Amino acid sequence: MSQRFLLILIIVTLGISSVAWAVLRGNLPPADFTFHNETEIKSMDPATVTGIPEHRILAAIFEGLAKPNPETYLPEPGVAESWDISADERVYTFHLRPDARWSNGAAVTADDFRYGIRRMLDPMTGARYAYQCWYIKNARRYSAGLAGVEPGDRVEVELNLPASQPWTRRGELLHGVLLSKKATDRSGQNSNVVAVRVGNQERQFLVGADTQEAPGGVEPCRQVLLDFREVGIEAIDDKTLVTTLERPTPFWLQLTMHYALFPLYRPCVEEHGSPDWTYPENIVGNGAFRLQFRRVRDRIRLVKSDTYWDRENVRLNIVDALSVDSRTTAFNMYETGRIDWLTDTESLIVRDLLEQGRDEVDLNPAPFLCTYFYGLNLNQKPLDDVRVRQALSLALDREEITRVAMGAGEVVAYGLVPPGIPGYQSQECHRGDPAEARRLLSEAGYPHGIGFPKFEILYNSDETHQTIAELIRKQWQRNLGITVSMRNEEWGSYLNSQRQMNFGICRRSWVGDYLDANTYLDMFVTDGENNRSGWSNLEYDRLVADAAAELDDEKRLRLLESAERILMKELPIIPIYYYVSRNLVRPYVRGFYNTAVDLHPLGAIYVDRDARGRNEYLSSE
Amino acid sequence: MISFLVKRFLWMIVTLWVVFTVSFFLMRAVPGGPFDSERNLPPEIEANMMRRYHLDDPLWKQYWRQLSNTVRGDLGDCFRRDLPVDRYIREGLPVSAALGLLALVFSMVLGITAGIVSAVYRGSVSDLTLRSVATVGIALPNFVIAGLAIIWFVFLFPVFPAAGWGSVRQLILPAFCLGAPYAAYVARIMRTSMLDVLSQDYIRTARAKGLTQRQVVLRHALPGALLPIMSFLGPATAGILTGSLVVERIFYIPGLGSHFVQAALDRDYTLAMGLVLLYTVLLYTMNVLVDISYALLDPRIELE
Repeated sequence: MSQRFLLILIIVTLGISSVAWAVLRGNLPPADFTFHNETEIKSMDPATVTGIPEHRILAAIFEGLAKPNPETYLPEPGVAESWDISADERVYTFHLRPDARWSNGAAVTADDFRYGIRRMLDPMTGARYAYQCWYIKNARRYSAGLAGVEPGDRVEVELNLPASQPWTRRGELLHGVLLSKKATDRSGQNSNVVAVRVGNQERQFLVGADTQEAPGGVEPCRQVLLDFREVGIEAIDDKTLVTTLERPTPFWLQLTMHYALFPLYRPCVEEHGSPDWTYPENIVGNGAFRLQFRRVRDRIRLVKSDTYWDRENVRLNIVDALSVDSRTTAFNMYETGRIDWLTDTESLIVRDLLEQGRDEVDLNPAPFLCTYFYGLNLNQKPLDDVRVRQALSLALDREEITRVAMGAGEVVAYGLVPPGIPGYQSQECHRGDPAEARRLLSEAGYPHGIGFPKFEILYNSDETHQTIAELIRKQWQRNLGITVSMRNEEWGSYLNSQRQMNFGICRRSWVGDYLDANTYLDMFVTDGENNRSGWSNLEYDRLVADAAAELDDEKRLRLLESAERILMKELPIIPIYYYVSRNLVRPYVRGFYNTAVDLHPLGAIYVDRDARGRNEYLSSE
Repeated sequence: MISFLVKRFLWMIVTLWVVFTVSFFLMRAVPGGPFDSERNLPPEIEANMMRRYHLDDPLWKQYWRQLSNTVRGDLGDCFRRDLPVDRYIREGLPVSAALGLLALVFSMVLGITAGIVSAVYRGSVSDLTLRSVATVGIALPNFVIAGLAIIWFVFLFPVFPAAGWGSVRQLILPAFCLGAPYAAYVARIMRTSMLDVLSQDYIRTARAKGLTQRQVVLRHALPGALLPIMSFLGPATAGILTGSLVVERIFYIPGLGSHFVQAALDRDYTLAMGLVLLYTVLLYTMNVLVDISYALLDPRIELE
């Protein structure tokens, strides 16, 4: 009996202590400022990420040439203390500040930017946002690998790395001139070798060959690329960086605030390899904060950097970014005082809070650059008929949609480009007019909807999307007498169906990468990566291309406006509403403003619990 | 005993291999891939990413590579996040285990107590009440219980924090919500088996000796009545481990349950595979332990 008792006692003690250990491991000293970062971020590596949660963290631990003004989100000097722009607006010379430092104390140099951008462009990196760098001269060709070069071009051949080396290192580089992409080797067996003249010698290479020796005098190599010295980025000295662009790009300074163009500390990346260099014990950053630790699906803790050049103006010491998957849970945590800034409040909760008068306390929804729209599949009948598309748009009562399904004051949309882009006037399609819609539909051969072919509205599983689709289905039935069905798919399948154009109408949304209409309009050029409607209009293509080449900003904007006018007449997409931001920010949080992209630099935020009166967030528009 | 363990171990290897193979091909048969996002990748870049993760190889080659890596103990890196799979397991498993253990303790203590009371005072008001509560407990999914618990104990009577991980107070509500449906099952099993035992001859003998009700129930009837509970432990552990998803989400607990489902939704082939294999090992081990405990509790059962 006593033995049995001892055994039970041991098991119970072990159980209790292991539970205690697991719980107490999660116990932490509190942070100065805690915010809801939506979901677990993918990585700290600028080359592999795309989302907003990642952006918030990366912008805190790195800094680009320019940094955003917290109030306007327009560029102001970051690592570069000043810049000169050439008369043709293609050459930017950045002068780096002498006191910009990495978190290990080393100086931030022009070469660190060149390295970061080269790594972004390197096909081996597999960067998703490489296209943000394609405005630089020849950058697109560099990132296309062998496909980007033709015989006669200067190329660089990267030889294979020894197997023990981290993937992030580069093999030995040979510079030469490409002779042929499809040469036959000397033994005549392989006709896919690349011939390059290196020095005075013609050498043959086999790209992507794993073996250290290839037959027939052919040398294996990792890749053959355009010579990087042909790409328009040059470090004149440690503190001067020159970027030469393909064409004038008015939003180039804004792009330098994007993580795709952040500098990287090369020894760190090359020594630890990917992804190990991004781990808290290894990572070297140059931003206002330093990464202390990351717990999966729990939090990322940032601490103020003591090497940041502007550290005197950073007032938060410890910041926690929580990855709470459930928005309701995050809201509960905000209401019980465990979160200071809730980034993405449920729209229907916002409606209730607004009714309770919380817009006087901690809530101030504001429009930002994101459009919710329905994409139409023009390969499918009857959507190939422009009259049908116009009828579908005219038959919508967008006011009803935002009133019933949304709650935060979302704005009805009649154009693709949201308002708020400096100098740009959004071009609108016609507002709701059921009678005109019916007329167009019968003109297209479907009077009262008779004989109208069936199609589906596709959306990803989400309550809000479902409510909207349901409302639209009813409005079309009521105003046009047509019946459409609805199909929801979970995220992965939905994206797949969207890419394969396996839908009639598909819910989509688009958030701008920078403050310019181009980020929306270049989506719909013929065969664009994100067109996904089958729509093609040569006049539209020409206008977008002309705008890209136009030096005069005024004329450029008018060209883009004409393009949007075509888009809104042809309607391969039907805009529904513009998003509003739904931040909940506690009154004691200061230095937080509504911005057009709904991003809020952490370096400017501070907490003042004694402050009285409305904070900047409530006062901003 | 040794030969039993060896045999079970060999079967576990076979099971793992079958699970691996089936999951491997099932995952790839579902539409979509790990690099999908709302923005399409330019084809050159997509080709590079496929090449880097060897997704452009023929399927059998991918299968072979992943299988041999797994055998060597290398579960690989996640596709969706820049972290190795074993880091997820290292961070998430202790959390899930602590939560699960506490939930199990809750369900056992509540269930066994309720079962004994119901059986001993059979037909009384307390029996009826406990049985109705148990029926409701089985019928209610744990997210409903969690929602009610949050309204009561977080907002109406603020005794517990809303969510999070790092103190014992934060653990109580989620463990309760996770364990409650199982407590209801345990109570029903306990009541039945207790009634069964109480009608046995040796209990009558014990009463005839003049023992008090308390001695009869706790010392003589309880050990025999516990056997069916032991056999329920295996499936209960399985259910608690794999069923923690909802509770983990609602209470923002960084356990394994939400990784498991999210990995499948994200088409994160390596992470999903790692977790499927981990769960297979855990459940298999639990079942072997239950088998062994049978033999220990009841000498009539032999292991073979």
